Amino acid sequence: MDREPLDRPVTLAVVEDTPVVLEGIRSWVAADPGKRVEIVASGNTVDSVLDGAGAHADVLLLDLELDNGVNSLPRIPELVAAGRRVVVYSVHEDDATVMAVLQAGASTFIAKNETKEHCVDTIVAVARDRPYVPPVMAGALVAADGQTSRPMLSAREREALLLWFQGMNKQSVALRMGISEATVKQYIERARVKYASTGRAAPTKTTLLARAIQDGLITADDIIEYQSLAADHHTRD
Amino acid sequence: MTASETSVRRSYSLGARRAAVSVVAAWHLGFDLVGTVGFWDSYRFPWLAALAWVLYAAIAVVAAIALLGEQPLRLGVWPYAAGALAVSAMVMAACEPGDVVNAADWAWGSVGWLAMIVFWPRPTWLRDLSVFLLANVVVTLAGLALAGALDPRSLSKFLVVSVGAITLQAGASAGGHALDLAARWAVENSNRTARAEAAQKAADQVHADRLARYAEVRSAVAPVLNLLAGGADPADPDVRHESAVGAARLRRLIAETDDAPDPLLHTLRACAFDVERRGVVVLFLTAGTVPPLPLEVRRALVEAPIEGMARARRQARVTLVATPREVIVSVLTDAPSLPVADGSRAANVATNVATRVEAENGGSQLWIESRWTAP
Repeated sequence: MDREPLDRPVTLAVVEDTPVVLEGIRSWVAADPGKRVEIVASGNTVDSVLDGAGAHADVLLLDLELDNGVNSLPRIPELVAAGRRVVVYSVHEDDATVMAVLQAGASTFIAKNETKEHCVDTIVAVARDRPYVPPVMAGALVAADGQTSRPMLSAREREALLLWFQGMNKQSVALRMGISEATVKQYIERARVKYASTGRAAPTKTTLLARAIQDGLITADDIIEYQSLAADHHTRD
Repeated sequence: MTASETSVRRSYSLGARRAAVSVVAAWHLGFDLVGTVGFWDSYRFPWLAALAWVLYAAIAVVAAIALLGEQPLRLGVWPYAAGALAVSAMVMAACEPGDVVNAADWAWGSVGWLAMIVFWPRPTWLRDLSVFLLANVVVTLAGLALAGALDPRSLSKFLVVSVGAITLQAGASAGGHALDLAARWAVENSNRTARAEAAQKAADQVHADRLARYAEVRSAVAPVLNLLAGGADPADPDVRHESAVGAARLRRLIAETDDAPDPLLHTLRACAFDVERRGVVVLFLTAGTVPPLPLEVRRALVEAPIEGMARARRQARVTLVATPREVIVSVLTDAPSLPVADGSRAANVATNVATRVEAENGGSQLWIESRWTAP
């Protein structure tokens, strides 16, 4: 899907108050050979970014902890409810933080240590309402799934996520599991789609599920099953 | 005090209480009732004597229930003590003047038993019982005076019976309490012995652990020291790796005896920290909460990953994924192969830990994974 032609670059708004980090993001975006992303707005606060040039950006890249002590987590539900695709990145890469961000309705979580490799791919995937699972998020999904009484992930999906989290590239994961790279991607992305049914309802999640059916990643019957599992997870919580 | 020791004490204490209640019951039925019925015709007011007997019985029942149920008396002890004195006075009043302190006047010598069970659970039982018995002496002397029977014969009988009754009642009470005290001493004594034994066992265990750790320290550093002693060049990369591995093992031994909330994570972090100080970039990622694991399992889990970290040249990605039923530690690093051959799979049956060491990325990296699965 990464090779799917784009009629225009994805527009990105960045909420980040550390200049050096913003510079890093700019350089990663600039280094992308396909020039698939264009930063249209950046600023210190969510409001300053969305009131200005970022009002119609395809994707909002949000730093979870801003230097002024503001935690962006409580803002996520209203942003996703308004139809925004939110990608959260953070220095906190523990599974509790990751799952809280996903439950709040964000499209994806990227740990700051993996922003360089995964930033642009993530933004492009999210702009197309497709799942993208950076390794740290994969680890969080495995841990979260293992803690429930009714796991949603299959053993193969779990294994693929685990090797991805451990630092292998998808080709290595494929080799080790004796499957094709495309299947590895499918396992990893399907795991994300399964967990899209949990937490808060959001238009972006609905489009993610719709897109996953369109792409043949899951079937409509699967969705009903995931939703009943998700309901179980909620009653457990 | 342990549960079983508490129960030993309680059963001793309860035994003494039951004995006291039995004495009162036997005395009231076997002596007081026989007296009341046998002398029915010689009382001035037989119904008063009967009423006194019933009042005595009522106080005895209430006091016995409280004593055996280890509950305090609802109104305190003194109303019951006053009731007992009233019984003494009532029976005296029921008697013909010539019969006071005679056999028909059963109550004055008997109410001391009642007082014994009323005061039993109180720490001040001896003082309380003494006060009561003295008050009963005063009441009885007043009864004698009112009956005009302060003659030497009556007084000497009064003295003999008083001394006998008081000795028996105070003696029984003291005996019962002594049994309680003896039980407490026995329990304290066995506690002391148990504590001493536990301290001895703990000291032995500490000593054994220390010996085991010394042995491990020796095995951790002996190969390197032997190499160096044999003239190996400290600049040789192999020697440096052996030294790094020895250092990592020492670090693990130190870290695993620390009292940290999550010992597995603590050990891995400590080793990662040391490796970082060598200039290796370590990315340490964790997901999930590690369940409590025994030391052998933790050791089996970290052994190969730590060795891999120690041999890292420039970078290592260390991950830990934990669920209640599974803990997986992995290291992906640019280390050359471990002494364990590449592609090896080792399963430690005793600890349920399986370890894999495999070449990765076309041989440029090494992937080590240790996986514990709940039995």
